[in-house]
Amino acid sequence: MRFLLTKVGLLVLTLWAAITLNFLLPRLMPGSPADAAIAKLAQNGPVSSATRASIEAQLGVPTGSMVDQYLQYLNNVAHFDFGVSYTFFPQSVAGLVGAALPWTLVLVGLVTVIAFIAGTLLGVLAAWKRGTWLDTLPTVGGTFASAFPYFWTALLLLFFLGYVAGWFPTSGAYRSGGTVDFTGEFLLDALYHSILPATTILITSLGGWILGMRSTMINTLGDDYVTFAEANGLKPGTVAIRYAARNAILPNLTSFGLALGGVVGGSLLVERVFNYPGVGYLLYTAVVNQDFPLMQGLFLIITISVLMANFIVDILYGILDPRTRR
Amino acid sequence: MKHLRRRGTRTVLAVIGVAAVLATSACSINTAKSGASSADGSMLIAADNGSPTFERNFNPFSTSKRVTATYMYEPLQVINTLDGKATPFLATGYTQPDAKTIIYTIRTGVTWSDGVEFTPADVAFTFDLIKKTPALDNKGMWQHIESLEVDGDTVVFHLSSEDVPAASIIDQQLIVPEHIWKDVADPLTFTNEDPVATGPYVLDEFTPNQYTLKKNETYWQADKVAVEKLVLPAANSQLDVVNNGYDWAYAFITDVEGTWVKADEQHNKYWFPPGGTIALVPNLTKAPYNDVNFRQGLSLALDRAKIATDAEQGYVDAAGQSGLLLPNQEAWLSADLPDGGQVAQDSGAALAAFEKAGYTMNGDKLVDADGAQVSINIMTANGYTDWLQGLQTVQSQLGAMGIDVKLSQPQPAAYYESLGNGDFDMAMTGFGGSGSVFQDMNLLLNSEFATPVGTTTTGNFGRFSNADTDALLARFKASTDEAEQKNIAGQLEQTVYDQLPVISMFYGGLWGLYSDANYTGWPSADDPYAPPNTYNSTPLLILTHLEKAK
Repeated sequence: MRFLLTKVGLLVLTLWAAITLNFLLPRLMPGSPADAAIAKLAQNGPVSSATRASIEAQLGVPTGSMVDQYLQYLNNVAHFDFGVSYTFFPQSVAGLVGAALPWTLVLVGLVTVIAFIAGTLLGVLAAWKRGTWLDTLPTVGGTFASAFPYFWTALLLLFFLGYVAGWFPTSGAYRSGGTVDFTGEFLLDALYHSILPATTILITSLGGWILGMRSTMINTLGDDYVTFAEANGLKPGTVAIRYAARNAILPNLTSFGLALGGVVGGSLLVERVFNYPGVGYLLYTAVVNQDFPLMQGLFLIITISVLMANFIVDILYGILDPRTRR
Repeated sequence: MKHLRRRGTRTVLAVIGVAAVLATSACSINTAKSGASSADGSMLIAADNGSPTFERNFNPFSTSKRVTATYMYEPLQVINTLDGKATPFLATGYTQPDAKTIIYTIRTGVTWSDGVEFTPADVAFTFDLIKKTPALDNKGMWQHIESLEVDGDTVVFHLSSEDVPAASIIDQQLIVPEHIWKDVADPLTFTNEDPVATGPYVLDEFTPNQYTLKKNETYWQADKVAVEKLVLPAANSQLDVVNNGYDWAYAFITDVEGTWVKADEQHNKYWFPPGGTIALVPNLTKAPYNDVNFRQGLSLALDRAKIATDAEQGYVDAAGQSGLLLPNQEAWLSADLPDGGQVAQDSGAALAAFEKAGYTMNGDKLVDADGAQVSINIMTANGYTDWLQGLQTVQSQLGAMGIDVKLSQPQPAAYYESLGNGDFDMAMTGFGGSGSVFQDMNLLLNSEFATPVGTTTTGNFGRFSNADTDALLARFKASTDEAEQKNIAGQLEQTVYDQLPVISMFYGGLWGLYSDANYTGWPSADDPYAPPNTYNSTPLLILTHLEKAK
C-alpha cells in the first residue's frame, strides 16, 4: 500500500510539473500568435496596421500578467476547458483534439501493437536460428529500415506506390467527398487510406523490436535453465517460447508500455506527409501558427498519457518483480 | 573465424538486396491521369488547403474563413491589384465631389442567394457592423470613415480627413445581408455554415476532404459565368497539382516547364506576374545603415538580375529602385528616373560610395576608419527557401566587395515580430502590391509607421522619416487630380531612388497555373485584367471572364 501511495504522490508531482511546463514553453517561443497569422497573410500581399489590430482583437491574444494567465490556465485545466484555437477560430481545442484523436489512436495504436507482436516474434526467431538467413534478413533488414527517417520512407512509399503505381490514395484518411460515418463502405475506405501510413510506421518501428528482442533472447539462451531444458529433451519450440522468450520479453514489454503512451502524440511526420487528420498533424499546425491554446491542450494530453503509461508499467513491475517494491 | 566471414558476406548480400529493391522501383511517373474536371462544366481548383481537412467556416470577416468565401461575398468594386483598376460589382461606380466625400451608386436588380432583394441598406448595415465590432474591420475602414448614410440608390461616405485614396479601401469591403446578420448574436465567432451572398457561386456540397460550389443561377451577371461548378479538394500537393488535371492552381512549383507544362503541353500554361517587390530593408536607426552613401554602395554592389534568377529560377525580373511594380504600374513611372529606375551593378561606383561613407578597401576587405571589416547581418524568415537562395547570392556579391555578410533565419512568427519591432540590421521583406500607388508608397515611406524601435509597426520597417516626404504623401492623399497625383508619385519615386529606404532586388511572383483544356480566357501578360491568384476578391474577375473551351 505504501508503495502505491508513493507512486501516486510521484504521479501528482510530475503531473503538476508537466502542466506548468506546458504553460511556460509555448510562451518562450519567439513571436506572438498575431505575428504568425500575419506571416501567413503577408505571403498574399501587404498587411495593414488595421489588419493586425483586427487579428489581435479576433484572437483575444492574452494580455494579463503571467501570474494571472497561469492561475486562469490552472483553473481552466481543472475544468477541462482548453479554450478556443487561434488557427481554427472559433473551434474549441477540446473539439479539435476529440476529432483528431480517434484517427491517431486507431492508426498509430494498431500499428504499434502489430509492430510489437511481429517484431518480438521475428526477434525470437532470429535469436533461435542465429546465423541462418532467418536471422540475417530480419536483423539487417530491420536495422536498414529503421535507420531511414520516417518521412523519407513515407515519401518513397507515397511517390512509388501512390503516384507512380497509383495503387493507393495519396492523402487523407478517407475519400474526397466522403463524410465520417460507420457504414462498412466507409470503414473499408478508411482502411484502404491507412495502408500507406501504417506501412511506413511499421517498416520504421519493426527493426527496434526485432533487435531488442533478439539481443535479450540471445542472453537468455545462454542461461543454464535453457541448456537444462534442452538436455531434458524438450521440444525446441517449447524451449524457445516457454522458457527463453518468456523471460526475455520483460524489457521489450516495458518499452511497449511506453510506446503505447506515446501513441497519443501521433506520428507527426507521417501524418504530415499523408495529410492524415490525426493528432500529429494537429500538433504541427498548432506549432507553426503559434496556437497557444491548441498546443497546450495537445501537450497536456500527450504528457498525461505518457505519465499514465509510465505509472501503469511501474505498478505492473511492482507486481511482476517484488524486488522493485523497495 | 570462418563462421564470421560467412556472416559478413550474408550481411553484404542482404544490404545489396534491399538496395536493389529500392533502385528497381525507380521509374518514370505517369502523368496521363485524367482529371476530375471535364466537359460536365466543373472546374478543379487548388485554391483552398485543408489542415488537413476543412472546417466549415464561411464567415467573410474571419481570419480562418474558407478561401472561397470571397467567391460568394462581393465587394463594392474589385480592384485589379496589378494596375489598380477597379471593376464595379455591388456598386456601379462612385464620385468624389470633394476630397472628404465619396458617393457610391449601389447596383439595383441584385438579389441575395436566398431570393431577398439586395439594397443600399445592406451596405450601410455592413459598415455599421464592422464599426460596432472593430475586430471584423480587417481592412481598417473606420480609420478613414467618419460617418455614412443611405441616400436613395447611393451611399454617401464622409471621411475623417481629406483622403481621396480611401475609395480604394472602401471598394474592397465584402457586403453581408442585413436580414441574416442582424440576428447573429456574435458575428466574430459565427461560422456561417450556409452562406447567403450575392456572388457568382453558392455552396453546394461540403465534406471535410472536399467541397463544391455551384453557379448561382440568380446572379446579376449570370450570363458571364461559364463554370457551372467549382471543385475544391483539401489536399493539393505539388504532385497532385501536376498529376490530377487541375484547371487552376496557385502554387510555386519547381521547374514549371518540366512539371506542370510537361503534364499537358498543349493546354497547361502559367503566368507569374509581379505581385510585390522583394527588397532589403536597412534599419535606418542604426549605423552604418543610416548613411545614405553606405546604402548607395550596397545597392550598386548588387547584380539584381543574377539575384532574381537564383532566387526564383528565372520566373521573375529584377526590380528597379523606383518603388513601383513594373510593368504593372508603368503609367506611374516618372520619366526623370535614369534608366527607368534600374540600377546596374558597378563595383567602382559602389566603392566610391562606400568611401564617401568612410569605408575603404584594405586588401580584400572593406574596412572602417579603425581598420575593422564591415560586417552586416541580414534577416530572413526560416523556410522561405527562394528568399534564402537570393540572399546567398547577395552574400557572395557583397562578399566580393569585402563585406562580411551573416544571415539569420528566425521562424516566420519570430521574423515578423523582429521586423515589426525594428530588431534587425537589414531584413529581407516584400512591399507593395496593393494595386494603389498611394497605399504602397504610404506604407513604405510614411513616418507615421516609423514608430520607435521596440514598438510594433506594420509598414516602413526601416523607420524612414522625412518631413518633405510626409508632406508629399499628405498632398497625394488629398489630390483628386490625376496629373497632380502622378507628379507627386514621381517625386516619391525619386525619393526611393535617391534615399534608398529599401534596396529593391526582384519581384515576388504570383504563381498562377492554369489549363485552357476546359476553359479559356485566363488572364495573361497580353490581357492582364486580373492577377492569377485564387485568394481575395480578384478571382471574381476571372470567374466572370472565363468561357467554355470550344
